[in-house]
Amino acid sequence: MTAHANILTPGTLADTAAARVTVTAAPGRLSLRARGELGAIEGALGLSLPGKIGGRSQDNGIEALCLGPDEWVLLTAPENVASVVAAAAAVYDAHPHSLVDVSARETTVAIDGPRVLDLLCLGMARDPESIAEGEGRRTLFDGQTVLLWRDGATKFRMDVWHSFAPHLLGLLEIGCRELAAETL
Amino acid sequence: MSKYRVSGRGRIDTSRPVSFTFDGKRIKGAKGDTVASALLANGIHLMGRSFKYHRPRGAVAAGSEEPNALIGTRRGPGRFEPNTRATVQEIWEGLETNSQNKFPSLKFDVGAVNDAAYMMFSAGFYYKTFMWPRSFWDKVYEPFIRAAAGLGVSPKEEDPDTYASRNAFCDVLVIGSGPAGLAAARAAAVEGLKVVLVDENAEAGGTLLSEPQAVIDGKPAWDWLSSELAALKAAGVKIMTRTTAIAYYHQNLIGLVEKLSDHLEVLPQDTPRERLWRMRAKQVVLAQGALEKPLVFHGNDRPGVMLAGSAQTYLNRYGVLVGTSPAVVTSHDSAWFSAFDLADAGAKVQAIVDTRSEIRQELLDGAKSRGIRVLAGYTATGTEGRLRVKSVRVNPMQSGKVGAPETISCDALLMSGGWTPSLHLFSHTQGKLAWDDDRTTFLPDYTPEDCVIAGAGRGLWGIAAALADGAEKGQQAVEALGRSAIAAVPAVKNDRTGTGVSHKELPTDLSPGKAKAFVDYQNDVTAKDLRLAVREGMKSIEHVKRYTTNGMATDQGKMSNINGLNIASDALGRKQPQVGLTTFRPPYTPTTFGAFAGYHRGGHFEVTRKTRIDSWAAENGAVFEPVSQWRRAWYFPKAGETMDQAVARECAATRSSVGIFDASTLGKIEVVGPDAVEFMNRMYTNPWTKLGVNRCRYGLLLGDDGFIRDDGVIGRMGQDKFHVTTTTGGAARVLNMMEDYLQTEWPDLNVWLTSTTEQWSTIALNGPNAAKLLAPLVEGVELTEEAFPHMSCVECTVAGMPARLFRVSFTGEIGFEVNVPAPMGRQLWETLWKAGEQYGITAYGTETMHVLRAEKGYIIVGQDTDGTVTPDDAGMAWAIGKAKPDFVGKRGLARPDLTAKGRKQLVGLLTEDGSKLEEGAQIVFDPAQPVPMKMVGHVTSSYDTGTTGRPIALALVEGGHDRMGETVHIPMPDRTIAAKITGTVFYDPENAKLKI
Amino acid sequence: MLLIHCPYCGETLPEVEFAYAGEAHIARPENPSAVSDEEWAEYLFMRDNVKGVHYERWRHLHGCGRFFNAARNTITDKFLTTYEAGAPRPALDTLTEGGK
Repeated sequence: MTAHANILTPGTLADTAAARVTVTAAPGRLSLRARGELGAIEGALGLSLPGKIGGRSQDNGIEALCLGPDEWVLLTAPENVASVVAAAAAVYDAHPHSLVDVSARETTVAIDGPRVLDLLCLGMARDPESIAEGEGRRTLFDGQTVLLWRDGATKFRMDVWHSFAPHLLGLLEIGCRELAAETL
Repeated sequence: MSKYRVSGRGRIDTSRPVSFTFDGKRIKGAKGDTVASALLANGIHLMGRSFKYHRPRGAVAAGSEEPNALIGTRRGPGRFEPNTRATVQEIWEGLETNSQNKFPSLKFDVGAVNDAAYMMFSAGFYYKTFMWPRSFWDKVYEPFIRAAAGLGVSPKEEDPDTYASRNAFCDVLVIGSGPAGLAAARAAAVEGLKVVLVDENAEAGGTLLSEPQAVIDGKPAWDWLSSELAALKAAGVKIMTRTTAIAYYHQNLIGLVEKLSDHLEVLPQDTPRERLWRMRAKQVVLAQGALEKPLVFHGNDRPGVMLAGSAQTYLNRYGVLVGTSPAVVTSHDSAWFSAFDLADAGAKVQAIVDTRSEIRQELLDGAKSRGIRVLAGYTATGTEGRLRVKSVRVNPMQSGKVGAPETISCDALLMSGGWTPSLHLFSHTQGKLAWDDDRTTFLPDYTPEDCVIAGAGRGLWGIAAALADGAEKGQQAVEALGRSAIAAVPAVKNDRTGTGVSHKELPTDLSPGKAKAFVDYQNDVTAKDLRLAVREGMKSIEHVKRYTTNGMATDQGKMSNINGLNIASDALGRKQPQVGLTTFRPPYTPTTFGAFAGYHRGGHFEVTRKTRIDSWAAENGAVFEPVSQWRRAWYFPKAGETMDQAVARECAATRSSVGIFDASTLGKIEVVGPDAVEFMNRMYTNPWTKLGVNRCRYGLLLGDDGFIRDDGVIGRMGQDKFHVTTTTGGAARVLNMMEDYLQTEWPDLNVWLTSTTEQWSTIALNGPNAAKLLAPLVEGVELTEEAFPHMSCVECTVAGMPARLFRVSFTGEIGFEVNVPAPMGRQLWETLWKAGEQYGITAYGTETMHVLRAEKGYIIVGQDTDGTVTPDDAGMAWAIGKAKPDFVGKRGLARPDLTAKGRKQLVGLLTEDGSKLEEGAQIVFDPAQPVPMKMVGHVTSSYDTGTTGRPIALALVEGGHDRMGETVHIPMPDRTIAAKITGTVFYDPENAKLKI
Repeated sequence: MLLIHCPYCGETLPEVEFAYAGEAHIARPENPSAVSDEEWAEYLFMRDNVKGVHYERWRHLHGCGRFFNAARNTITDKFLTTYEAGAPRPALDTLTEGGK
């Protein structure tokens, strides 16, 4: 097995009858931490924040996923990051919080195809079926922390810190081939 | 076709001949054969030599429990596996196999002299022999043990195969696809439930494959089997063959190893050799059946002596007669049926010798109708035949006495000492076993897991009983899931039920001291060994096991445990439950390392993290070193340079002009919130309240025990915002520690932590020309001493990129760290590189960084500290905010031991002879003292000539701060080096070079 | 591999998502400087090493990130319950293994 050196530019990495793995263009990404009454922040963002861990919401060009009791990740177009930061900063005094730009931190891969659940099972100990369509979770894939977004029955996105991505993509690529070679 | 292959019998496909080699000889078999069945079909019983005595051995079983017939298998160059069970390995065209543990040949083996000298090799032999004298260990005993140990020869080549692993989930997992498992799966196959049925064999069916005479629901067993398998598939049950349940872990996590290609002639592309499944099942039904026990008598290991049930399997499943004139020795009804099957297939069964005097009339009739002689109430006392059994010696037993012997000729000897439920996986669950006196065996009792056991595994006998019990247990599993199931129980005709008795070693008229009556075949443990162990004081079966190695072979006592226990408990005069049963541990059968490693080998062995600048370093000839999970540029040798030369050049260039360094791996944490400064005050030793915005400070992090945990420069980017840096290896640990205090000790603080390690690429520029190089590229701040003094930080623009610029130095030179959004890292690096050409900019790696910082006495946490070093020990008491009421570690620092005199303290060392010390070398005050000397510290960092003109070292030395100028000694293997204790700063103690 | 119920996520998940974090209900003294060496050593070093029901901390490290508490039987390795950090220690007689 080879180390996968330069596979992080956007594009399709593997495409087999089983599944397809595509590195996507990086969105703007922000880590939001806040607690208590969230009205002021939601007003500033123009988005109601999902209250349940794993829940998602989308509005005003922002997609939010609740990761913990006081933690959300927000995705938006890269060019919107500055305005989102500014809008939140405007309500900081009224409702202190932390909003940190982490757009450069992660790599996102889109994973889809008929065997995508099995592909995830190569490296994930939790049952992917326990993540409902339209939800997401932070979990572990092949030993690394990832965010997993389930966009459809066989459609997922996985966010991982950039330096861990080649390792994970290596396994996803092997898995696409392995699953395609399987006769069920 | 050989006389041993019976046409019309077995499930092999004789229309598809397959040939392979055994010890270089071409052997013909058929599709569906195992190596063992194909060898037996060719009349070959001799398959290997035993481990200790090198006795000739053949297959004694037909399945995975086989202890004897271990072979090496080869699939061309690079693909060799030792200790494969010939009874499990399926043959394919071109497979190469060889016997093991023999020299020079299987038929004539020099090591068999051990057999003649067997008195020497009795129980506890290793313990007794290899004790004394001490000097014999290295030169005599160890080489002997190493030469004798092990069975097959390990392959030397790297394994070219790939291995896979997968997590899976199901509602009901059924392990074992015999009648009980099939019935359980059928009962569990309720709409909406995910049911998985696994079996280690190449095909499902279990006992049914060996008992084609049975009629189930009016159909011949094999017809019923195929329709039942089809029905299960149609009901959505996933059937996995060649899949061994190797282990039962907590909360119904079952390890399954699926063999995907060992049976194939052509290896399919992209298909791993094996896959380890981690199956999480809501309910488990164990239906693994029972294992037949051998009888224990002199010569019970000769090739041709095998389990009766296995002989029946060879006949019915593989169409092989293991002998044309076999004899049978048994204490159980089941062997009678084996004899009948062999007789019906054309064998001349010489006799059925049963230890019981009372035999069921039905069996006697069966023997009579086939003309088989019956010897009831007889014992077996020996066998003859050099490489294969040719006769068995039997004696009548009358009122407890062994009568005159009789010799019965035979070319195979079928034995049965009864059956032992397969309780390995049940035992993995910490399940409790209960002794059953009637059956003389342990039966499953209680398990803490969501698991039931069905069929022969709990002592039930016969196909009808197994089907009924399987159906009931399958239904039970479904009901435990809150669903209901109706399980129909099929009607069975021609079932073979039976009973038997259990023995210790069989009675004999010969001297028991000379009997080679084997209990554990693979480890060559005899009944005599077990009794000797008891005589020598072993009272628990655990001790007997370890003393004799009974049950410690690769078959984990599948055949030997109960026989061993019966003999040991007889010798101890105690009931079996009081003597106990040894613990079964995973894996159930030998498992390849590859299966456990899965995908994690080669380049995918573990994560290798690379910065965004790593590619530049690679293109520019960097040599890398691993630092935690990162690979970092270690040094950048030019053509022909050694490491020392490269480092010296990099050091000099940085000190004289400017060096550039990739510091992106430093951990970074964004600390934000109204209580950020209070949090920083509580976490770090330093005071933070008065640190102005756009200023930074070196921060020291302790544990509450007072010892240094981490350090790094921390910048105040705003009133409520800190940019914290940590060591490369400490990033995750520090964040976890901070979260721990924040969440559980100070949940009232309004502050949040976000890892930004990978948000930023960080480039350090150091050297007298650093400011000159950088200034033209920076917008938003003047790089002057006044506008941006040492220990400043600011958000600005560098080369048009949004940046966080720090003025810090880990080298003692004017230094900057430029943070830009990570993907811009390489672009910034190249921009700086180009702009630095006029200054002869030099890239340096971690080694030069280490040298330069050591010259300034800057510590590296984890190298100069080891978890027992306080700030004062490290000479950094200045970093402690003494006025603060509390911080993590403050109270710890006041512990008496941490303020005591004579603590090891960080000092510099300069050797008197100008040589370089070894890192880790121990230090003594008096080199003339007798050995063992009192060690008073060790060298923590040591470097060859950097820029100070001589090697320097840092060391932790007892009371070091009060010993300035004293000489200490570092004893090395060849000499003792004297060194003078100095301060830790070797370069520019006035910090003059830090000024622009 | 254990299954652990995260009281914050409300899900029962594989152990690999979690990190063990030592004995629970050991509060750091309010004012460490005011406690004696003995009291400090008690806080810092002394742990119960229970054979039986053990109150312990876990962190859902690769999930919601929260520290929480658990009662686990160290003999059977079964969890009796998990609960949020800061919640009081549940009484033993209210707990059964695996809710059975």
